[in-house]
Amino acid sequence: MTRRISKYKRFMMMNPIVQFFKFIYLSIKVLIVVAGGHGGTRNA
Amino acid sequence: MAKIVVLGAGIAGHVAASHLRRKLSKKHDVVVVSPNGNYQWIPSNIWVGIGRMKPKDILFPLAPLYAKKHIDYKQAKAVSFHPEGDQEEAKPYVLSEYVVGDDKGKREKVTYDYLINATGPKLNFEATEGLSPGKNKTHSVCTYTHAQEAWIELEGLIKEMKQGKKIKILIGTGHAKSTCQGAAFEYILNVEQELRRHKVRDMAEITWISNEYNLGDFGMDGMLMSYGSNIMKSNEMVEMIFEDRGISWILGAGVNKVEDGVAYYETLDGDHKEESYDFAMLIPSFSGHGFKAYGKAGEDITDKLFRGFMIVDADYTPKPYEEWSVQDWPETYQNPSYSNIFAPGIAFAPPHSISKPRKSKNGTDITPAPPRTGMPSGITAKLVADNIIEMIKHSNNELHHKGSMGNMGAACIASAGFGMTKGSGISITTYPIVPDYKKYPDTHGRKLGKTFGSIGLAGHWLKLALHYAFIYKAKMKPFWWLIPE
Ligand SMILES: Cc1cc2nc3c(=O)[nH]c(=O)nc-3n(C[C@H](O)[C@H](O)[C@H](O)COP(=O)(O)OP(=O)(O)OC[C@H]3O[C@@H](n4cnc5c(N)ncnc54)[C@H](O)[C@@H]3O)c2cc1C
Repeated sequence: MTRRISKYKRFMMMNPIVQFFKFIYLSIKVLIVVAGGHGGTRNA
Repeated sequence: MAKIVVLGAGIAGHVAASHLRRKLSKKHDVVVVSPNGNYQWIPSNIWVGIGRMKPKDILFPLAPLYAKKHIDYKQAKAVSFHPEGDQEEAKPYVLSEYVVGDDKGKREKVTYDYLINATGPKLNFEATEGLSPGKNKTHSVCTYTHAQEAWIELEGLIKEMKQGKKIKILIGTGHAKSTCQGAAFEYILNVEQELRRHKVRDMAEITWISNEYNLGDFGMDGMLMSYGSNIMKSNEMVEMIFEDRGISWILGAGVNKVEDGVAYYETLDGDHKEESYDFAMLIPSFSGHGFKAYGKAGEDITDKLFRGFMIVDADYTPKPYEEWSVQDWPETYQNPSYSNIFAPGIAFAPPHSISKPRKSKNGTDITPAPPRTGMPSGITAKLVADNIIEMIKHSNNELHHKGSMGNMGAACIASAGFGMTKGSGISITTYPIVPDYKKYPDTHGRKLGKTFGSIGLAGHWLKLALHYAFIYKAKMKPFWWLIPE
C-alpha cells in the first residue's frame, strides 16, 4: 500500500527552522559518504 | 616533459585537466580538446528547464580560464584515434577538427603521451524515431540550450492553461535503454511545482513514463534505504512522492517512436501502446560517439578501443545477471591495449547494466542503462589524473589510485522544486553505487547507514549550495581543490 506524507511530516519538511538543522545534518552526512573514500574491489 | 591531452571539458574532462595542471609543473603540457566553448554545470539544467535559472547562470567560457591557468585549449572535436601514430607521425595522436573561427573545419593531429577520453555520451535521439528536441512537442533538458527551449514551450502552455486549456504532460525516458532517470525525475517534480506556483496545477495531467521495472530504480536496481527512523525501498519513496503530487506513472515502457503529441511504446508484456501529450520531456538513450581508431599502417583497430563507449579495465565477459559482481566494474579506467589511454566519467564502456535486465515478450530489451552521475564522473577523472601524474613522476606504469563504482559512494540531491522557502529536494546517498550483493546480502547490496533518503526544503538548499560550490570549483577560484568531487 502506498505510504502517504502526513500533515505533520509535510510541516516538518517545509519548516525553515527544522530544515536549517536538517541542512547542516545532511551536509555532514553527504560529506561523510563522499569523504568515505573509494577504492578497488578486486584485491579486497 | 610529458603532454597530456584531455578530450572533453565536461565534469570528468574539466576535473582531470584542472587537477593535472595544479599538480604538474609547467614543463608538462595539459591540452584540452572540446567542441563546446563553455563549461556547463549540467545538474542545474533542470532549473533552466523551468525558467528559474538562465543558461548564463550555469555556464562560463572555458578559453579565458584555461589561458589564465596555462591549459592549452583547442575548441575542436576529436574525430579519430591513432594510438600508434601513423606512417608520418611517430607519436600517438587524436585527429581533431576545429569547430569555430577561421580554423573551422581544419583538422590537426593532436599528439600526446597520455590521453584522457572524457567525451561523455552522445545524446542518441536518432535511436527513437521522431524524438528530437523541439520537434513533435518533445523536449530535452540534457543541454542548456535544450532546457531553455523546453522552458519557452512550457511557459507558452502555462499561459494557455491560465486561459482554461487542459493539457497533458509526459516526462521520463524516450528509449527502452535510456539512463538518467534521476534527471527526468527531478524535472517532473519541478514542472509539477511550477504549475502549482502558477496556480494551474489542476489544468494539467502529469504522467511519468519510464523503462524502469519499478519506480525509484534509477538504473541502479533500486535501493533499500534508511528514511528517518524507517527503512524504505526507493520505489516506496518515489511512489509516496508521486501520489502526493498527483503524478501517474507508466513503467516497463520502451518508447520506440514519437509523433506529433503521441509517444508509442512497448511494454514488458509485449503490448504496443501509445500515450498522447501536449508537452513531453523524454531522455534519449546515450551512446558512444562512434569514434574510429586506426593502427600504424592505417588498419581499423576500433574494437581495441571501443565497444560503443571506450574499453577500460572492466570484465566484459557476457554472463547472466545472477553471476554479475562488483568485480566486473573497472577500477582504473585504463584501456587494456594502450596503457596511456584512460576513459573516466560516462566515456567508459560499462560491463553491463546495474538494474536487472528485462526483455519484453517480443524480445525487446527494456532495461535502464547504468547511470554515471556527476560525483563518480569527477572521482574517476581525479583518480585517472593522479595515476597519470604518478606515471610521469616515477616513470613507471603502476596504478595506485583505484575507484570502482562497486566501492564508491554517491550523493544524489534531486531537486523537487525551486524556491528558498517553497523549494524541496530529495537527498539520496548510496554506498556502493553498484550494489555488492555478496558484501551486503540482507540490505539489497548496499550499506544501510550510508544509503539514506530525506525529503524537504533542506534538500533544495543543499542542491543550490552544490550548484554554487561546484561552479566556484570549476572556475578554479582560490582553494577550489578543497571542495571534493
Ligand atoms: C539534465 C541532467 C541532470 C543531471 N543531474 C545530475 C545531478 O543532479 N547530479 C549528478 O551527480 N549528476 C547529474 N547528471 C549527470 C551528470 O551531468 C553526468 O554524470 C556528467 O555530466 C558526466 O560527465 P562527463 O564529463 O563524463 O560527460 P559530459 O558532462 O557530457 O561531458 C562531455 C564533454 O565531452 C565533450 N565532447 C563531446 N564530443 C566530443 C568530441 N568528439 N571531442 C572532444 N570532446 C567532445 C562535450 O562537449 C563535453 O564537454 C545530470 C545529467 C543530466 C543530463
